[in-house]
This record gives sequence, C-alpha cells and structure tokens, in this order.
Amino acid sequence: MKHVIIGAGVAGITAARTIKELNSNAEVVVIGDELFLPYKRYLLTEFLCDSIQRDDLLFFSIKKLNELGVKLRKGEYVKSIEPSEKVIKLHHNEVVHYDKLLIATGGRPGLGLVLRPFKKHIHFYYSLYDTLILKEKLPEVHKCIVFGDGVSCLDLICVLHNLGKRVTYITRGERATFGLEEDDFEGDLHEFLEEKGIEIITEEQIVSVEESDQGYKVETIQQKTLTTDIVFAWDFYKPNISFIEGSAIEKKLGILVNTRLETSEKDIYSAGDCVEIYHPSIKGYWINFGLPNALEQGRVAGSNMSGQNEEYKTQEAIVFNLMGTSLKARWWR
Amino acid sequence: MKYSEITIRFCGIAGDGIVASGKIFAGACANIGLHVMVNNIYSAEIRGMGKSSATIRFSTSKLYSMGDGLDLLVGMEAKESIIDLRDVKEEGNVFYDTSTIGDVEEEDSLVSHITPEMQGHGLPIQKLANEATGTNQGKNLVTIGAICYFYSLPPEMFVDQIRSVFAHKGEHVIDVNIKAFNLGYEYFKEHYPLNNQFEFDKTSEPMALTSGNDAIAKGALDCGLKFYAGYPITPATKIMEIAAKELPKLGGWTLQMEDEIAAIGAVLGAWFAGKRAMTATSGPGLSLMCEMINLSVMAEIPTVIVNVQRGGPSTGLPTKVEQGDLNIALYGGAGDSPRVVMAPTDSEECYSGIQLAFDIAEKYQTPVIFLSDLFLGQRIETVTIKENIDRDRCTRKKPTSEQLEDFQRYQITDDGVSPLIVPGKPGAVFSTTGLEHSIKGNPNYEEEVHSMMTAKRFRKFESIVEDLPHAVILGDETADIGIAGWGSTIGSILEGMELAREQGVKTKLIKSIMIHPQRENLFRKFFASCKKIIVPEMNYQGQYAALLKSRYGIKPIEIHIPAVNPVSPLKIAQKIMEANSELSQ
Repeated sequence: MKHVIIGAGVAGITAARTIKELNSNAEVVVIGDELFLPYKRYLLTEFLCDSIQRDDLLFFSIKKLNELGVKLRKGEYVKSIEPSEKVIKLHHNEVVHYDKLLIATGGRPGLGLVLRPFKKHIHFYYSLYDTLILKEKLPEVHKCIVFGDGVSCLDLICVLHNLGKRVTYITRGERATFGLEEDDFEGDLHEFLEEKGIEIITEEQIVSVEESDQGYKVETIQQKTLTTDIVFAWDFYKPNISFIEGSAIEKKLGILVNTRLETSEKDIYSAGDCVEIYHPSIKGYWINFGLPNALEQGRVAGSNMSGQNEEYKTQEAIVFNLMGTSLKARWWR
Repeated sequence: MKYSEITIRFCGIAGDGIVASGKIFAGACANIGLHVMVNNIYSAEIRGMGKSSATIRFSTSKLYSMGDGLDLLVGMEAKESIIDLRDVKEEGNVFYDTSTIGDVEEEDSLVSHITPEMQGHGLPIQKLANEATGTNQGKNLVTIGAICYFYSLPPEMFVDQIRSVFAHKGEHVIDVNIKAFNLGYEYFKEHYPLNNQFEFDKTSEPMALTSGNDAIAKGALDCGLKFYAGYPITPATKIMEIAAKELPKLGGWTLQMEDEIAAIGAVLGAWFAGKRAMTATSGPGLSLMCEMINLSVMAEIPTVIVNVQRGGPSTGLPTKVEQGDLNIALYGGAGDSPRVVMAPTDSEECYSGIQLAFDIAEKYQTPVIFLSDLFLGQRIETVTIKENIDRDRCTRKKPTSEQLEDFQRYQITDDGVSPLIVPGKPGAVFSTTGLEHSIKGNPNYEEEVHSMMTAKRFRKFESIVEDLPHAVILGDETADIGIAGWGSTIGSILEGMELAREQGVKTKLIKSIMIHPQRENLFRKFFASCKKIIVPEMNYQGQYAALLKSRYGIKPIEIHIPAVNPVSPLKIAQKIMEANSELSQ
C-alpha cells in the first residue's frame, strides 16, 4: 500500500507518523514544496529571535526520518491530480502513483491585484525560507511597515517590536483586531499595541511599493507617502490548493471533507489549513486554522488512511503569546 | 553557507555542452586567480549516444586531486545523472530540469532519487535555453548562470569567459550564450534568493591552465621535438593534434600513420636520422609497439613513447582511467629488454618529465616509456610551469675523432653507452639491426658476444641512475606510516595524507617520477624507516606494489583499485587510519 502525502507541515508529518505507527510496512512518501526538512512553523518567531537554534525547528533529524521509514521529497510541488488514474504529477512532469493520497498543503499568504506588481519589494513572513532571508536583512532594518491581517500578522509585529525595530502597522479596519476576539486578554488590543510603541494607521491600505534612496517608498490609498527599510504585506491567507483544479475534488475556499477527512474522491483525504470541514459551532463549513487542529486532523487522516475509522473533533482553541500575555483565540465565533 | 572550495559536476549526454561547461568554468576560475581542476568523463560512443560529465573543483588553495564528493550535481539529463547522486555530499545540492517534455516515471526521475540529506533545486533549463538561443543549445549556460548566483560568484568572470570561448563563432553566438547565462542567473535570484557565499581574494593574479597532454606536447616541443608520428587513440590524441599544429611552425613534421606499429617505426627512423622524435598512444597501441620497442633496445636507437593509460585490457574502457599498463611498460616484449619507465605525477611533471625523457633516451640510446594516464592527460588544471625552452639541445654521446677512424657503433664502454652518429658520416660505416650483433653492428650469435652485448645494454641502466632526479619525501619524515605511489594517484595520496593529518595521524610519501630505474638506496632508506607501508594504485594486480616487493623485499598494505574514476583521497585516508590502528594495538 503506497501512501502519498502532499505537504510536509504539521498535518502531513503527523499523518505520516500515524500511518507508520499503525503499519510499519506501509510505504509512505511525503512531498513538501519547501527546501528543508519538515519543521515546526509555529516556532519560526522564536528562531527569528534566536531563542532557539535552527535544528530545534525540525520535527525530526534525517536519522529519525530514515528510522521511521518515510520517504521525504523536499522542494517539490504538485502540478495536478488525476484521481481516476490514482496519480499525481509533479512540477517537473514526474508521475507518482498512489493507493491512498492525503492533501495537506496548508494555506499561505497572497497578494491581491493591487499589490501583485510590487511583489519583488514585499516580504512575507510565512516560511523558514522567508525567515532566513529576514534574518539576513534584519541587522540593516530599523523601520518596518506591516500590512495584513490575522494572528501571524500580530505575531510579526510583536517580534519586530521585540527586536527593537520601529513598526508601523497599516490596516483596512477601524481598529487593529487581527480578526481575533479575545477571551482573557485584558483591555483593548489596539491600545495595548500603541502603548508598546507600535504606530497604527487605520482605514488605509498600501497601493504601491517602490525602491527609494531611503529603502522603500510606500504609498497608500489615502495618498500618504511613507518610507521604510522593509515592507511586509499580504492581502489574504488562503488554502494552497490550486493544483486540484480539474481533478473533480470538491472545494469551496478549501477542500471539502467529511468528519473522516475524506474528500469527494475515493482514497483521497485532506487535512490541515487547506481543508474546509463542517463546524458544529458555526453550523457550516469552515477552515480550522491552527496547530491543534492540524495535529489532530493529521492524526485522524493518517489513521483512516490505514484502515481505521476515526472522526475528527474540532479543537477548542489556540494559545498565542502576545508580548508576555497569553491569548486564547477562537476566531470562529 | 560559506565556501572556500567547491566541487560541481555537470552531467548529461554527449552534445549537451558538458565539456564546454568545464572549459568555461576552468577559464573563469583561473582568470580570477582560483585554483581549479576539471575532469571530463565521456562515453566512447559518438555524439548524442552516451553519458558525458565534467567535474570542476575550484578552491582558494592548491588542488592535488578531484577530492571526494560533490557540492553540486547539475543534472542536465535526468536518467544519466541518477547514478551520480551517490557522489553528492551530505547537504550537497542538485540542480534539475523542470521543463522536460513528456511524463517521467518515478524510477527514471532524477528528483525522485534525491535523498532528504541533499537539496534539490528545480529550474526550467531547457525552456530558458530555448528562450535565449531559439534552439536546444545553451542549457549549460543557463545552469552556469544559476550556479553563479547560487554561490555568489562575480557574473563578469563568466561573461568574459563566454566571450573568449565563443569568440570564433561570432557576436550572435556570444550574445545568445550570455543571454542564456543571464536567464539562469535571474531565475535563481528570483526563485532561490537565499544564496551561498564563495569567499576568495578578489585581488589574486590570473593563473595558467593546462592539461597533462598539453604539458607533454609543450615540453616536447620546447626541448627540440622535430618529428612526431602517431595513430589517433583516446586519450592520447590531443598530443598529436598539438604536434600537428605546432611542429610545422618549428620546421618539424607530424605524420599520422596507418597504425601504431608504423608510428613507432617512423619514430625510430627519425631518431636514427638524428632527430628528436616521439609518439603517443594508449594501452592497445603500446601492445602493438612492443616489437619495435625491442628493436629500439637491441639496436640502441633512442625513442620516446608516451602512453596515456586508459582502462583495459584490449579496447577496454577507452574513456576511463586506469594504471594497468605498468607491467607491459616494464616488461613488454621479447628477451631481456631493458627500458626506462617514467610516470609524471602532475602537469608540471608532464612538462619537465618529458624533457628529461628525451634527454635520457638520447644520451643512453634507449627507449623511454612515459606513462601518463587519462585523468592526468585530460584534466585541466591551474599550474605554475617553469618553462625550459632549448630546441637545439642534444645529449647524445658523439664519437671522438679517434673513434671515428675505426667507428664501432656498439663499442663496449664502462657506462655501456657507445658513440652515436647520424648515418652518412664519411668513413663511419656501421650496421644497425634487430639481430644480436658485434661492436660494428654486424649480426653475430656467438654466446660470448650475446652475453657481452646484453650486459652492455643493462650496464647503461647503472649509469642512468646517476642522472636521475632524486625521489622526494613529502609529509612528516618522522612518521611510521609511509606511502609509495606513482602517476596521478600521487595527488589523491597527498590529499588522503592531509585528511589523516587532520585526524592526528602522521604519514610520509616517497614520490618519484622514475619507475625504472630508481635510485634504490633512497627507497631502501625510506622503507626501512616505516613500520607500515601503503601502496595505492589504479589497477587490479597491484603492479607497482609487485615491483617494489621484488625490488626492496617489502610487505606493503596494497590498495588495488581497477579504476574508472580517479582514486578517492578518502579511501586512502581510511587505509591510513586502519594502518594507524594496527600500529596502536
């Protein structure tokens, strides 16, 4: 039985480990588009701050990977899936056959039509690759502009601030909320950030980024001009599933799965941030972002791919450390 | 990552521009003062029908061998590159083409064989090449552009070299190749911006490049080569090509003969007529020449034969290296047939050594077999050759006026060397024959004459020893582990010794261009000072080890590698460590 897992993040690696634990003879191939050994994305901030070493990011060493008997293929991405043939096609036209397939490609930030032409001047803070580039540049960086939304955006603001950089945050909203509703965060997040020295510009958005003598010149829709050493921006964070186009796998924003994490196509499962699953709290399909969900979905998918019959139950919350304050986030409410 | 030394291999099929890649890289590195060594491996088949690779090692320090392992494998042709993945270092890199046409099954895909220890980097090599050149050519330049960015090398070093290499093909070819280079560079800059740093002194002076074959040809021309006759054979043909181009400019001749027997016959004739002459061949050609080598011995006509060894026996492995011709060089032919055998260890010695070969051949009227090999002959490397140009030199023993009155071509002398003249000198009549002969050269089969003449021919070798360069002891003279090697294996031995030294194990090496005869007292002294002796060589039988055992009574640890690739320094270091462990017990 050949299990192919697309995606080497938390969900993919957890599924691979689960499959091997249930059947050590199973053939497991994990295909990841990043150039590195599978790593814990949620620790990138600590790595950026030098709180941990690069090796501490890894799920396992090469030795452990070999002991586990999982074949890892790094730096490769999938072009298309043909469920009727039970094959996937990789970017270099290699055809890989599978018996069971798991799609665990997560989500990723992206730029809308306005910012896309300025992509080469804009940094993401998403992957280890982004982080390594950022680490190289940081010593020369004093002023930063951050434009975006979500917990990862807040995370970036915090880390830049903690590293002593002057941070300007631009949001389309009236307040800086990052889409969060806090349970036990005392006080107002917007005010809290401003008190910490973060400049927040509300009801604004970036419309152009150009190189200038002083780094970069940023223009906003309200015709403000700002200068900065580095620009972080993203318009959205969405499931990374463009390669399923034409495969008949049902999707909305993410891949639709049942509680066994099965997709509409036989022997194809999906887990993690690329999945939309029925959520009892909101009574509809929703993407369950976050580490606890990815871990549990990876485990359940791996188990079901191995012939078990498990149902996924939504994990309650993620815990986020905001400049020393613990924040529980349940953004689906 | 930061590097001061990098090894890259381009792997594809004949026609992919693999050899040109090595040439461009070597020239670019030499121009900015880096040490570089390039080893081309190609199939014996014609264009488009076999694997071809160029391995380039460049460094800020002097290089002695191709080292071990690849920092980067450039897989221009996926299927052919799969086997080369075994040479990629841990954490080494692989570039592969993402624009191949048609589906590829897993087992045929280079990418599917890349292990997690390595790092694969895809780029649309074919697509970018097409975009730049409008043809299927230029793939190599795309990958060189990518490499340039990947290791933060200065682009101008390659652009200058592209201009130089393609100068004879016109501006359009130069332009499209530079475009291909730029596309590869920009692709990597955009898709893999996080690059590595190759650190080097940007003020270094340019270095000269040569190959062993080039150095042999140049050395021969500089010391008075006047006539070359040969028959093309891989990997020696380059020597004939240079001779064909350069000798006419110097008033000399190059003849392509119908076979190797005719070639050496012509060379003997030229020497007989008083001209410095040479042929170059490889194992199969040397086999054919054995009868004529015997004639050279018997008739005491000087001759110089370069044998660029390749894998054997028979047609064997025409494009792979081996040191399997030592026995035929030493013993090939009929009867008691002494000859000089030399083996240069690097390109510098190819130049100086071939000049010594001519001097010895002429002075002692003997065949000299100069044993190079494919790796040494074809590899391109940065060198510092001390030129020695004297095209009128003559080392022959000329007769005195008294000797001319009653000329004895094979006069018995203390050093075994008789006076030699060019035929046609008035009054000095003599015969020359392959038959045993008297002092006048007339056939004579008497036991007494045969004994006397055989002894005379061997006595020359006692005299030759006095003219030989001393063997060199390298490494730590106080070491208990000694190594004896020959030919191009010496480079790998030196790097193996260095690897052992880094592990705290001292070694020493006795290095000599002379295989036969040798200054035996030096070797005896060296071996007596060793508790363990290691003899590595690229053949199955241990031909040099057998010679040393019979000559010096030693019992060495032998490393016999019937080679296809140059010897791994690591393999030698491992043997050294084993020997050291045995000594410690």
